[in-house]
Amino acid sequence: MDLKPTTAGAEKDGIPPEKPTPVGQQMLDKGAQMLQSFKPINHMSQHACTFALYSHDMSRQIKAHHFVTRLNQDFLQSAVYDSDDSNGRLIGMYVYFSFRIIEFVERVEYIVSDTIFETLPPEEQKLWHSHAYEVNFFSFNLNQEPFLIYGFLIVVVFVFQIKSGLWIHPRMPETIVMPELKNLAKTYGKFWCTWQTDRGVFQLAISLIKRMFFISLQQEQAAEDGVVNLQIARERDESYNLSREDLMRSRIEIPEPEWINPTADYWRQHKKGFKIDVESTEMRTSFS
Amino acid sequence: MESVNASTRPDVPGEKTKLGTSLVDSAASAIQSFGPTKKIHQHLCAFHFYADDMTRQVEAHHFCGHQNEEMRQCLIYDRPDADARLIGVEYIVTEELFLTLPDSEKPMWHSHEYEVKSGVLFLPGVPGPVERTDLEKVAKTYGKTIHFWQVDRGDELPLGLPQVMMALTRDGQLNPTLAKERENRAYMQGLTHGIHPKANAGGDGLKTVLREIDCKPSGHPSLEPIPRVFV
Repeated sequence: MDLKPTTAGAEKDGIPPEKPTPVGQQMLDKGAQMLQSFKPINHMSQHACTFALYSHDMSRQIKAHHFVTRLNQDFLQSAVYDSDDSNGRLIGMYVYFSFRIIEFVERVEYIVSDTIFETLPPEEQKLWHSHAYEVNFFSFNLNQEPFLIYGFLIVVVFVFQIKSGLWIHPRMPETIVMPELKNLAKTYGKFWCTWQTDRGVFQLAISLIKRMFFISLQQEQAAEDGVVNLQIARERDESYNLSREDLMRSRIEIPEPEWINPTADYWRQHKKGFKIDVESTEMRTSFS
Repeated sequence: MESVNASTRPDVPGEKTKLGTSLVDSAASAIQSFGPTKKIHQHLCAFHFYADDMTRQVEAHHFCGHQNEEMRQCLIYDRPDADARLIGVEYIVTEELFLTLPDSEKPMWHSHEYEVKSGVLFLPGVPGPVERTDLEKVAKTYGKTIHFWQVDRGDELPLGLPQVMMALTRDGQLNPTLAKERENRAYMQGLTHGIHPKANAGGDGLKTVLREIDCKPSGHPSLEPIPRVFV
């Protein structure tokens, strides 16, 4: 099978000004590698590939390679890279957890919201009130922020990502990953992107921390095709020698959540995305 | 070294991994390739504190890979075990590269000189002389760290906004047992141009703020709201 890297990312000028790793450093790296243990890294057990887009600009879509670690049946965490070759750039972190955890989170909800609410700036607090319903409903996921709605969004996303064949486990036979796909179809997720490699320049930029949400798909095939950038999807599928039609057919039996909260479509109705800004503030310190 | 996170480490909620699921995991780890994570070659341990609260310090286990000589990228875990929680990422760049960044970007980066020379930062399992060969380089770098999971306040799940993190820059919090190694590292050269005044948040604090902004659509009509039918 052709294993060539699937994204142009690594070869793009996006990479920091070039100076290859010299032999001395390589020896040093090898030495450390032999002496040290890498348990958390060795524990990564799955590679999945899908697409993500920026919540504030849906025209920017990127390929996301997840290297997944399972902490227990209900919780997975992954490091997200822009490519699956050894030059892949670390672009963020993703966590997913199953519907079951919701019960747990409902119990801790106020603790989280109480403490955090106090720390929100006034304009955030306004936002909070205006979305009180959602907050009360599921403030755990994107938690203290009123945007839990996005938790739902991502539920939708996961199911349809999987059913539409956008989410793949490269090189894994479909029959083997089927149980896992069924698990994942029932998870919520949260993704923070730390490096906007699609901008093509080496800029670990200011507002570079952006929440991204996975491409949301309507149940109708036509709508789905409209949202995802078919060009990047086709390239990906070709590089892994996959047919998305086949994947969709094999995944048709994966059960969908019995009920999806209507607020899941919040972003469609309000056309609002989210970004993170970094502001100057006073440092709290007990040492001075 | 006593793990500072141990006392505050809550369990991640959820059921024990089922046998069927772990079989999928083992199959996948045998068949799939893990290009970017195979390149991780170094385990580095240090402390980070929140850019707006120096009193909240977190033990951070960095697992780093070189992108090239100018830059490393690291995954940050709360401890070095198989079930460690992925709490953040750090990018490490050389001084030269740092100086090319826009001024607005610089405050989010922290210098490593003090961390290295004070002995706070170390490579577990690597003998001193070997360790110092690499740390000589680290002392001349800047890092940008973002944590997603506030384990120090006992969060069972990664909640809230990402946090910009900083590193130690002066005496006052140093563990006295590290004093010996500090002498060993006294010879190291720090940053050629000295610590940039804008780095380390320019001496202030930094906090992250969430903004709701207009969503730019992908330009396809299918992004218009479509009524959903529940069955």
